[in-house]
Amino acid sequence: MASKTSPTGKLTAGKTGQTDVADAMPLRYGDDPYVWACWLYYEEGRTQHDIAEIMGISRATVNSYLADARSRGIVNISLEPSRLSSLAIAQELKRHFGLQDCLVVPSDDGSRTLIDRLGTAGGQAMAKLLKSGDTLAVAWGRTVLAIAENTAVTGLQDVTIVQATGGTRASFAYTPELCASAMAEATGAKLINISAPAIVSNAEVQSAFLREPLIEEQFAALGRANKALFGVSSLRPNSTIHTSGFFESVSIQHYLAKNAVGVVAGRFIDPQGHAVAGPLDERTIGISLDMLQKIGMRIAVAGGFDKVPAILAALRGGFINVLITDAATGRGILNADGVTEIDQRLAQRTRGEGPVPLPSNVRTHIKKFLNNPDQVVDEMLEGVLKAHAGYIAPIKGSNRALVARNGPRAGKVGLVIGGGTGHEPCFLGYVGKGLADAVAVGNIFSSPPPGPILECARAASGGQGVLFVYGNYAGDVMNFEMAAEMAHEEDIPVRTVLTTDDIASSPVEDREGRRGVAGNFFMFKIAGAACDRGLSLSECEAVTRKANDRTFTIGVALEPCSLPQTRRHNFEIGPDDIEIGMGIHGERGVVRDRMMSADQITDRIIDRIFGEMNAQPGDRVAVLVNSFGATPLMELYILFRRVEQRLGAKNITIATNWVGHYCTSLDMVGASISILHLDQELSDLLRHPCDSAALRIN
Amino acid sequence: MQTLNNASAGGIVLAMADRIVENRAYLSEIDGKIGDGDHGVNMAKGFGMAAERLKGKDLSLAASLETLGTILMTEIGGSMGPLYGVMFTEFAEKLEGVDAIDAAAYSRMLHAGLEGIQSIGSAKVGDKTLLDTFVPAVEAFDKAAADGKSFGEALDALVAAAEIGRDSTINLVAKIGRASRLGERSLGVLDAGATSCAIILKELSEGARDRLQ
Repeated sequence: MASKTSPTGKLTAGKTGQTDVADAMPLRYGDDPYVWACWLYYEEGRTQHDIAEIMGISRATVNSYLADARSRGIVNISLEPSRLSSLAIAQELKRHFGLQDCLVVPSDDGSRTLIDRLGTAGGQAMAKLLKSGDTLAVAWGRTVLAIAENTAVTGLQDVTIVQATGGTRASFAYTPELCASAMAEATGAKLINISAPAIVSNAEVQSAFLREPLIEEQFAALGRANKALFGVSSLRPNSTIHTSGFFESVSIQHYLAKNAVGVVAGRFIDPQGHAVAGPLDERTIGISLDMLQKIGMRIAVAGGFDKVPAILAALRGGFINVLITDAATGRGILNADGVTEIDQRLAQRTRGEGPVPLPSNVRTHIKKFLNNPDQVVDEMLEGVLKAHAGYIAPIKGSNRALVARNGPRAGKVGLVIGGGTGHEPCFLGYVGKGLADAVAVGNIFSSPPPGPILECARAASGGQGVLFVYGNYAGDVMNFEMAAEMAHEEDIPVRTVLTTDDIASSPVEDREGRRGVAGNFFMFKIAGAACDRGLSLSECEAVTRKANDRTFTIGVALEPCSLPQTRRHNFEIGPDDIEIGMGIHGERGVVRDRMMSADQITDRIIDRIFGEMNAQPGDRVAVLVNSFGATPLMELYILFRRVEQRLGAKNITIATNWVGHYCTSLDMVGASISILHLDQELSDLLRHPCDSAALRIN
Repeated sequence: MQTLNNASAGGIVLAMADRIVENRAYLSEIDGKIGDGDHGVNMAKGFGMAAERLKGKDLSLAASLETLGTILMTEIGGSMGPLYGVMFTEFAEKLEGVDAIDAAAYSRMLHAGLEGIQSIGSAKVGDKTLLDTFVPAVEAFDKAAADGKSFGEALDALVAAAEIGRDSTINLVAKIGRASRLGERSLGVLDAGATSCAIILKELSEGARDRLQ
C-alpha cells in the first residue's frame, strides 16, 4: 500500500504540475473523483473524514463515491478462496439447472456434521425465503427436521405450514408430523397436519381416506401451497430411507429393479427424474409429484456424496428450483452432469463482463417494484387474475390465454385481441361483456406465440366465426396468422383487422404499413360492440376496419422507458429533447425535436392529424389522451385542454372522450393523442354498453 | 470424405443454447439502440427452455434441432420465435434420417432453413435483418464446397462470411421490422437479429467442424 509521502510512480506521473499541493486530486483523475476517492481510501488507508477534507466535499459524498465505485466495478473486493469456491459452485448450479436460487455451504471444516451445517444453512435460507401469507408444504426427514430446529423466523403474518404426507409411526425420530410441527413452531405459523397414515394397507383404504371430508380439506390446503421444503433420499444401502419406517412394510427392491435412484417427498424417481410407478402408488397418502411440480418455489435441502445421483435426478425432473447443499455435493452433481471446470468458468465469465466506464452521477438502474425480473409477466398475471376475477379467467389453466367470464356465447362472433405485455391495461383490460371475448398475452413487448392465440379463438368461438384485432407488428402478424390457419383447420372461420392508427409511423401512401398504438382502444370498443350486437363476421370486420381507417394517433415521448429485465433505459433522449411519433415499444420517434410547451406539442400533433382527417365543421369525434405510463393525469388534462380548444376552433364536437392510462409503454414519460372521426354507426357502437376491468359503459 | 455423425452431434444445440444465454444482455443492448431491447431476453428464454428439455437426453442433431425449433415456434412469440422456429424445424427436417451428414446435406439444410424464413418474412438482403448474416454465409459455404474445399474448410468459410455479413448491418438502413420506422437513424448500429444469427451459425458450424470424422 502506498503511503502519503511515497506515492507510486503512477500517482506521481499523474500529479505533474501540482507537486506543491501534496493531496490535490491528480490531473489524470480530474474527471473521475470516484477513482481518486478510492485511491485515498483503499490504497492510502485514509479515513472518509480525511478524504472529505482533501477533496473538499462532504463526508456523505465520499461515502456515496465509495459505494458507487463498488457497484460500478472500479473497486473489486476479493473473497477468501474456499468461500469463493462454494459461491462459484452455487452460481454454476444455478445457471446450469436454471434454479431460482442456490445456497452452497463451504467444504467441511471437520467441526460439525453435514446435517448440522445444512440445517443451519437451511434455517438461514428459510428466514430469507419465507414471506407473510405463504403456505409452505413440509416433507419429512433428518435434514428437514434439522432445518426446522435451526429456523427462527419472527414477524411474519398468515403463514401456514402443511404436512406434505401422511404420518408414520412415532418410533421414527423425524416423522412428517414432527417436521411440520417443528417448522410451524419455528415460524409462528398455523399448522395443518394430514390426519392419515403415509402408507396404508391397500388401494381401498387409500381411496376411503382420500374421500374423507377432513382429509379432503387438508389436501385442499396442501394444494394451495406456494412453497415446499423437502429433502432428497438416495436408495443406497446405507440410506436412512431403509430405516426411516416410511416404507417398512414394502420391499424397495421393486423400485430398485425399475432403476429408481431417489425419493422425493415419499415418491420414487429414476435418473432422469421421471416418476417410477410401483405398488406404493395406490397406497400412499401424500403430495404427488405433479402437485409438487405445480408449487412455485420448491426448496430442496440435501447433501452427502451418496445422494448425488438422487439430487441430480430431482434436478433433472424439475422438482427443485431452490437448492441448498454443500460444496462437495454440489461439485459432484455438476461433474455428474458433465460440468467439470467450475472455477475456471466462473473466472472467465467475470473477466468477460468488465465494467463500462460511466460519467459520474449517472444512474445505472431504474428502481422498480420487482421480485424476480424474469417472472414479471407471470407475477403480474397472477395479480391481474386475482384483481379482475369477475371479468377474466384462464383458459385451460394458462394465464397466457384469458377468456371473458361474461363474453363468448353461441351465435355471436368472437373477438380475440392480444399482443405483448408492458402496455397495461392493454390488452387484458378490454376483455369482458361488450368488448373482447379473449386475449392472448405475450412477453414484454413481444407477441404471444400461436398456441395461446388458438386457445383464445376456440374459447371465443360461438359458431359464427372469430375476429382477430391486433396491432400491425411483424411478430404479431406472424403468430396470429399461424393461429388463424390452425383455427381454420378446426373449422373456425377467422377474419383479421390489423390496427394501423399511428400516423407518424409511415407516410399516408403506406397506410397499411403503419403500426397500431393507443387507437386500439377505439377499435376494440367498436369491434366488441359489433360482435355483441350480433352482427355477422363480415359486418364486424367491415365496421372495425372503418374505425381503424378513421382513427388517427400520434405519440410523444419525453423520457425513455426501461425494461424490468435490464432496469435500464432502452433508448436515450437528450436532456432537452423530445421524440414526436414515438411508438409504444420505445421505437424511436420519427422526428426528434427540442422540448417545447404542452400547447406547442399538442399543436404539432393536431396539425398532423388535421392533415389527414377529413373532418368538416359540425362533425363529431371521440378523443383519447393516453399516458405512456409515467406521465401523470395532471399533464394529460393540460394536453386535453388544448385538443379541445383546437377542435372547438374548427367547430368539431367532442362527442365523448377518455383521459388516462389506456395503452402504456411501461414507465415511459410521454403521451399520445388519438382521434376517432365518428359517423352515426361508429357513434352508436361506441355508446354500446360494455363492462371490463379497464372500461365500463352503461 | 468428411462427415458429421448425426446421432452423436446433439450437443451442438446445447452449446448453442449456452452461447445465446450468455449473450442475453449483449443482444438486448444492441436491440435497445434501434428496437425495443428485448431480443436477448426472449432468445435466452427460448434457447434456455430448449436446453432444459434436451439436457441429459443425448438426442441426435436432427432431434435436438427439432425440439429447439418447436419451442421457439410455439412458446416464444415475438417475431424471432416464428422466424428461428421455422429455420430450425426446416434444418431438422432436412437432417432427419441422414446418419452421416456431408457437405451436400449440410447445404440442403441451410437452404431449407433460409427458404423457411423467406416464406414467412418479407425481408431481403440489405434490409438490415438476420438475412444479411444468413444469405452470404450460405453462399460462402456453397462456393467453398464447389471450389473443392473440404467440409471443414467450407464451414470455416461460412463462419467468416456470417461475421462479415453481421458487421455489414452497421452500415445499413433498416427496411423492415420496428427499426424500419427510423429510416436513416438506424445507421451505425448492428442489427440484433443479424448478430444472434451469426452466433447461431458460428456455434452450429464450429460444433460440426469439431465433430467431423
